[in-house]
Amino acid sequence: MQILMQLIVSGISVGMIYGVIAFGYQLTFATSKTLNFGQGEALMLGALVGLTTVNFLIGNSLGNFWAYVLMLPVVLAFGALQGSVVEWLGVRPAMRAKSEAGWIMATIALGIIFKNLAENIWGRDALRFPSPLPEASLSFGGIRIQPMEIVVVIGAIVLMVAVELFNRYSIYGKAVVATSNDRDAAGLMGINTNRIITFSYALSSMSAAFAGVLVAPVTLTGATMGAVLGLKAFAVAIIGGLSSGLGVVIGGLILGITETLTGYYISTGYKDVPGLLLLLIVLSLKPSGLFGKAAIKKV
Amino acid sequence: MKMKFAWLLAATMMTAPVMAADSIKIGVSGPFTGGSASMGVSMRDGVKLAVSEINAAGGVMGRQIELVERDDEAKNELGVQIAQELINKENVVATVGYINTGVALASQRFYQEAEIPVFNNVATGSLVTKQFAGADFKANYIFRNAANDTIQSAMIAEEAVKRQGFKKPAILADATNYGQLGKTDLTNALQKMNITPVATEKFNIGDTDMTAQLLRAKEAGADVILTYAIGPELAQIANGMAKLGWKVPMIGSWTLSMASFIDTAGPNGDGAMMPQTFIQQPSTPKRKAFIEAYQKAYNVDRMPSPVSAAQGYDSIYLLAAAITQAKSTEGRAIREALENLGTKVDGVVTTYDHPFTATDHEAVSDNIPVFGLVKGGRVGPAHPEDIEGDKALRIKPKA
Repeated sequence: MQILMQLIVSGISVGMIYGVIAFGYQLTFATSKTLNFGQGEALMLGALVGLTTVNFLIGNSLGNFWAYVLMLPVVLAFGALQGSVVEWLGVRPAMRAKSEAGWIMATIALGIIFKNLAENIWGRDALRFPSPLPEASLSFGGIRIQPMEIVVVIGAIVLMVAVELFNRYSIYGKAVVATSNDRDAAGLMGINTNRIITFSYALSSMSAAFAGVLVAPVTLTGATMGAVLGLKAFAVAIIGGLSSGLGVVIGGLILGITETLTGYYISTGYKDVPGLLLLLIVLSLKPSGLFGKAAIKKV
Repeated sequence: MKMKFAWLLAATMMTAPVMAADSIKIGVSGPFTGGSASMGVSMRDGVKLAVSEINAAGGVMGRQIELVERDDEAKNELGVQIAQELINKENVVATVGYINTGVALASQRFYQEAEIPVFNNVATGSLVTKQFAGADFKANYIFRNAANDTIQSAMIAEEAVKRQGFKKPAILADATNYGQLGKTDLTNALQKMNITPVATEKFNIGDTDMTAQLLRAKEAGADVILTYAIGPELAQIANGMAKLGWKVPMIGSWTLSMASFIDTAGPNGDGAMMPQTFIQQPSTPKRKAFIEAYQKAYNVDRMPSPVSAAQGYDSIYLLAAAITQAKSTEGRAIREALENLGTKVDGVVTTYDHPFTATDHEAVSDNIPVFGLVKGGRVGPAHPEDIEGDKALRIKPKA
């Protein structure tokens, strides 16, 4: 029982990271029906910018904890900026040209460019991210959790709740929801839908950058860290459903927990298989995802 | 057509010695960026140190050695391109290097075909020197002065089972060729002692969570963890154990001495043990001189990868001795000289006394490496008595 709980706890913290990245996919899909395939790279850039900032602040005799706290606004702002650039360079031209697949190629290409850029600036080694909290693990009835893992889960929930509240209660958020529901109608009502789409990309990369600095202290930081996470989060977004914020969170948890459970109870060599099987099953039985609303495309 | 080719051949044969008269070109291929960079850069620095010493002393056959360095980024396809460039464009007389077994196996075929010797000074895969050995090949142009995985896995099993008395080892290996081939070698070595690992677990490069693997090993009652993986993931294992509040010794392949393991695992990595052909300690006069020269030349205190640096350094001296003996820079003559090396080469790792024969291309035998131990961010000897006095210099037994 204790082992099962330990595995579930580890699965939850991995799954929450998947969930936050997938949440970013969902944000842009809602407003523009496009995705940023460079989401993993947005995460990686966020983590590396965070690392540089934290090291700079620690260098100016700030403690690990306060350096981490002060770094957060910098990384969030950087993420927002990076997302806007992706939208401006990769997505807007494709949408203007009414290209069905142009944005796919453009966002993948930008992802590769960002990765090479990071390799040139930060090198290709995996770097250690100073942990803001003590690294000794806490024991809850025999189940051991690192303090940072708790921060990962809480941080992920806080981010998603904040975005959700913003959408529900602020005038800008309502414009986002209106654009998601019907872009043409929103445009006719005087909403600048182009700006809303840019905004959703900024928000999406911001959440990825945030996920980056959440996961960095428990793993290592480097130019290649985003590739696997971005891909896993994509699977999560499909399992949970691209049109549901709650869906991607639950999708993330399902994938994270399945991975650790399979690793322990079946074999660590087959850790990734059940997640992919689940993906295939969901795609064949409910293509819009477990929590997604089936979209009817009117032609 | 044939006539033209013959002319071309004659022309190159006539011009080649004239072109090379001023310097002897030796290729260096290794990863100088990326995950294995600490090994690649240390190897290159050891090579450069040896070359500058030889050149300062007048060179080989009165000619200076010129290095042609190329970064293979640990990528097989890049290694192949570099091999072709070094052979056809740079006309190297030999190439030293290769950190990654995969890159070595993919690239050295071109040298074999061109009859140019390759000196593997770091890559450990058991197959590396045997790729072109055997009856099908007239001669084998692949040499090595590193402890191969057959030697290392046997040492790891011996240390864990015989010397320290562990009965229930768990093997943790990554999913790459390096990890999986090493895992097989380890399982076989344990088999010979009638020990079956209680758990054999696998993980991918870049995996962030080792909970499942470690819990399986723990629940199987493992009393020691044997590893075959590289720095970052090894650190995840050490850190994962600390997280689970479970501490058993880690014994593994020489990659446990990688800076990326030692720095990332921090105190959690203390106590890890691995076979080393060289430990950064002045246990012989040659080693003392080498360490001091290295520290002075590159302005560092701790070598990023002492083993790679020492083996890189020795590989050049072996090659230089062979060229001097052959009195030629022709590949076939250098190979023959290496296989019948008449002069003793006083290296950092050992004193090489007739290290190679026509059938044995491994300079490092199983009695040469000793166990290193991570402590306070450095690798020291695990059993100081192993390298005390006259045991410091371990020499390959005569065949």
